Amino acid sequence: MQTNKTGFLSSIRAFVRDPFRMFGMVSVILLLLLTIAPAKDYFSQWRGYQRQYLRFIGSRGDAVTLRRHFTGGIQQIWIPKLDVVDRCQSCHVGLAEASLADVKEQPFRAHPPIPHKLTEFGCTMCHRGQGAATTVEEAHHSEMAGEEPILPARYIESSCGQCHHEPLEGAPKLNRGRVALARYGCVHCHTIALPEGSTMQATDNPPPLSHIADKTTREWIYAWLKDPASYSATATMPNFQLSDADAGDISAFLIANSTPQPGDTIAPPAASGDAASGSDAGASLYGESFCASCHATQNEAGNLVGGDLGPELTNVGGKVKPGWLMAWMRDPQKYDPQTPMPQYRWTDPQLKLIVSYVEGKTDPDFLANVHLQPATKAQIAHGKKLVIEYGCASCHVIAGVPKPDNFAPELSRIGSKPVVQLVFLPGMKHTLPAYLEQKIRQPRSFGPSLHMPRYNFNAGQIEDLTTALLSLTDRSFSLPASLQVPAVRETSYQPAGQAGQLMASLNCQSCHRINGHGGTMAPDLSWEGSSVQRAWLDNFLKNPNTLRPTLIRRMPRFNLTDAERTTLTDYILTVYQTPAFDRDAMPLAGYPPQLIEQGRQLFYSKYDCQSCHMVNPNVDKGYIGPMLTHVGARLNAAWIFHYLKDPQALRPGTIEPNQHMSDDDARALTAFLMAQKSGAGQGANQ
Amino acid sequence: MTPPKDFTAAVGSDMRVAPRRVLFVTRRTSPQVKLHDEERVQTFPEVLVRALLAVECLAIALVLMSLFFNAPLEGIANPTNTPNPAKAPWYFLGLQELLHYFPPIVAGVLIPGVLITALLVIPYFDINIEAEGFFLRNRQRRLLVSMGLSAAFAVFLLFFDVYVALPAVAVMAGLMLLAAASSPQSPNRFRRYLALRPVSWWIMTWFLFEMVVLTAVGTFFRGPGWSWVWPWRS
Amino acid sequence: MPSPIATALDRLERTRVWRSIFRSGKGRSTLHNALVIQQSVFLHLFSVKVRKRMLSLGATWYLGTLTLATFLLLVVTGVLLMLYYHPSVPQAYTDVKDLQFVVSSGLFLRNLHRWSAHAMVFLAFAHMFRVFYRGAYRPPREFNWVVGVVLLLITLLLSYTGYLLPWDQLAYWAITVGTNISSAVPLVGDKIRFLLLGGHFVNANALLRFYVLHCVILPLSAVLFLAVHFWRIRKDGGLYVRESEPGAAEAAQTSTTEEREKP
Repeated sequence: MQTNKTGFLSSIRAFVRDPFRMFGMVSVILLLLLTIAPAKDYFSQWRGYQRQYLRFIGSRGDAVTLRRHFTGGIQQIWIPKLDVVDRCQSCHVGLAEASLADVKEQPFRAHPPIPHKLTEFGCTMCHRGQGAATTVEEAHHSEMAGEEPILPARYIESSCGQCHHEPLEGAPKLNRGRVALARYGCVHCHTIALPEGSTMQATDNPPPLSHIADKTTREWIYAWLKDPASYSATATMPNFQLSDADAGDISAFLIANSTPQPGDTIAPPAASGDAASGSDAGASLYGESFCASCHATQNEAGNLVGGDLGPELTNVGGKVKPGWLMAWMRDPQKYDPQTPMPQYRWTDPQLKLIVSYVEGKTDPDFLANVHLQPATKAQIAHGKKLVIEYGCASCHVIAGVPKPDNFAPELSRIGSKPVVQLVFLPGMKHTLPAYLEQKIRQPRSFGPSLHMPRYNFNAGQIEDLTTALLSLTDRSFSLPASLQVPAVRETSYQPAGQAGQLMASLNCQSCHRINGHGGTMAPDLSWEGSSVQRAWLDNFLKNPNTLRPTLIRRMPRFNLTDAERTTLTDYILTVYQTPAFDRDAMPLAGYPPQLIEQGRQLFYSKYDCQSCHMVNPNVDKGYIGPMLTHVGARLNAAWIFHYLKDPQALRPGTIEPNQHMSDDDARALTAFLMAQKSGAGQGANQ
Repeated sequence: MTPPKDFTAAVGSDMRVAPRRVLFVTRRTSPQVKLHDEERVQTFPEVLVRALLAVECLAIALVLMSLFFNAPLEGIANPTNTPNPAKAPWYFLGLQELLHYFPPIVAGVLIPGVLITALLVIPYFDINIEAEGFFLRNRQRRLLVSMGLSAAFAVFLLFFDVYVALPAVAVMAGLMLLAAASSPQSPNRFRRYLALRPVSWWIMTWFLFEMVVLTAVGTFFRGPGWSWVWPWRS
Repeated sequence: MPSPIATALDRLERTRVWRSIFRSGKGRSTLHNALVIQQSVFLHLFSVKVRKRMLSLGATWYLGTLTLATFLLLVVTGVLLMLYYHPSVPQAYTDVKDLQFVVSSGLFLRNLHRWSAHAMVFLAFAHMFRVFYRGAYRPPREFNWVVGVVLLLITLLLSYTGYLLPWDQLAYWAITVGTNISSAVPLVGDKIRFLLLGGHFVNANALLRFYVLHCVILPLSAVLFLAVHFWRIRKDGGLYVRESEPGAAEAAQTSTTEEREKP
């Protein structure tokens, strides 16, 4: 046994010592290795997935079709113009198979339906990741030197925003995020340039602070600075997390820096004994004036009721001085030329009523614990330093403090920021979306010396904002201009003349859009003159009502004089006309009954208009579109005719479907609709 | 006419005029010359088969490596996005590490230039051609000189904050002390070996040691901003 | 009884075609073996005979041979890679991506090229230090040492120029860092950098320049110097043997000669 073993070992030793035999053996090993080298290719991941796919579809009912559609090998979408080489379909084989929609597991799921063809833009334009890669790890998770890992699905709408800069149906998160970026004043400090050349504009209206002492007290400013949310849950002012001393100094500076403005205050109404009855009358005036269309207040249940165009008024009595409020209610633009608040033409007694009603909305707790010592010079000087340091003037006009340029980092391409350039907190996920979310949630968590304030956003808002920020990519700047859908451009249109002054004081454009400028709360008035009849418009301005059954009325009554109303009506009817047609080309009445009857038939059978509109409220159930019970007294016939022919041409973005009607059909329907003048449902009640 | 005794490595057809150097007589050995060379084997097949064997072993190692480890490939070159740290290939990291301590003119030009020149002229230096142990003669003086040089070098390194190079200096100084204290007849094999090392060996080994240390530091221990990092703690 | 393979080989070696190519003829005699070396354009750079001591692994570690082997491997894989590669921006990068992800065995080829390149740099260094420590640079081999140092520099340049070709971040910034150093040369530093890059920045020109250097100029120079290097091994007396090594004493018979004159 022993000798045997020794013999074996020594024969091995002899073999190893013989270079010729060794040479032969090693050559064989090398040759073997070189022959199996292609196996590296054969065992590549994508081949494995394709084999798995074939097994997977084999057990399905639609196996034959799927197998016919299947082509082996690397599959790629190649779009040189867009710099897209996406080989995702090498593994995600069933992406284009509609019949695989029921599959829940990746990688063989069918792509959910989207407005674009899969081959139009490829995969990585929206999902990011490495399109050229054919391994799971590289394609999805590579972060090497600025490569983008795959985008989590909940932010996917951000990719739409690379081309679509306009509000986009089907991308609500993106739209909300963009609105929030403007509404919360992010773009006051952070420049966001858009590929089309403009920059994103803020839509909030930070009040000017140069005359702040007229409006409120140092104590209120102090408490507000310390925590805006404790005054109003909907405050757009963020929390700068100031120390007590710093907040005291800033408030001291703002008060000391404020100069009285003539006309900013009026002697307030004397506190009368009949506060209760006065407040009732004030409340009803508040209601009649539709203040709640723009301003919210908290009801007893703690819910906010009202619009969000103006500030929340729940505790406003503790904030503004009565004398200032009087002056403000009489003419808001005197104090703040930029305000969206309209000038109501209230009489002095009405003014007193509304001011005392609004002043009654106080929260005694808010200022309960604020006791400030008189400010010293040093405090005021330090306050100014802090105001400059925190960039207060980026948003607010403050006399003596110029607006800083590019106060905060530009965010125009933040969505492409490489992960390697970010600094993460311990325990954080190392991804760009996680970074952005944390930065929005707790900006100072990245360092106490940072100046970015904390906002009171909920998780949903943070996700919206992150989605909007992620849409600001390098790619969106490098895409061909033909793919860019520009944002709705805001013009600087202002109506002219006497009517123009009137409309400016009423701030019509706070809610109404006219010729590309103005709010979106109320209908666009650019072509209102072509659309409506004089009598209706005059009456509407006298006493507005809503046109849609499902909407609450929001248009306030402005107490216009007859002369003012006439000016306004004349102006709207003369100036706001579409060049597309002559509004008087068709008569307002006198259509033959058979034509009206034909229109009725078309209304109810061919075009099914009653599913959205109501002509006869007793019969029809359409709650979506405007009521048509009085449409014949409201709209011009020519407008109805052309609107039916092509709704989007006259009202871009309207959901009214384009039915591609013939002229005859449109004429008949117009005749039928023009017959609806009194709300009786003429010709509709059979 | 050149006297026939003058050994120059010139080439000429007339051996009397320009004799070729065919042997080199060192001082320590007796003036002897081989009449017959030692045993020789034929290049084919004895040497070639062994060389091919070595090549094949290397090829096997490289093929295996290529099968299991993929070459790095990062994102496309982007001049606006500087990775931190931006590192040169590994064989230049020793120099890049020096660049961290010295101005570019020194670390990037002077030092490599001196190194290349030194390498090129090594064979033309005739000092100690017999390669005798450095400390076998003039032990006291040579020890003093080498220790003095080590100390000066250490101070120089300290002055430029090149702390990473200091351990190598200490190790080399220690080895020199040990060599000076050893004799070629020492029973300890390592000490015998050290005692017989010539000056060129000491210089080269020192250089090699420092370069290996610097390269290793540059490769493994340097992170963002060329700051010190521990490779196992990342 | 000879094996069928041996018989077939034997028959092959007798054919006219075989004999027209390999002049050494049939046989395993010393003469034949010597002719194999002598008659081959590639092998004739080597000596016909080598000292037996040099066969042992410890004598050379075959470092020179292995460095040559990596060079040949690099040439082969490099030429194959060239079939897929365009030295233009940004196509270079996408080509390398395609090699990695789409080309059959492209990843293997690239890996082999990359690892062989690193191995070659390492082996060249190791070879140099081995030669130094053995004292093989001493006269009469001093010029061959110089050629060796030049070859080492060429190797480094080959590796360095190849480093840029994938046009990825690693490549771009390694070259940027490296070429920035050259601008530290007094007076002509910026000129040298401009010459290297074909511009003031690492861009498409630099890529093309590095490509030409990597694929044409440097390999040709390497081949040239390699030929000299091998030739000189033979002309300088074969692989260096140290006198003090075991085996030298028995092998050498001695006789007196005149004493060397001291300079």
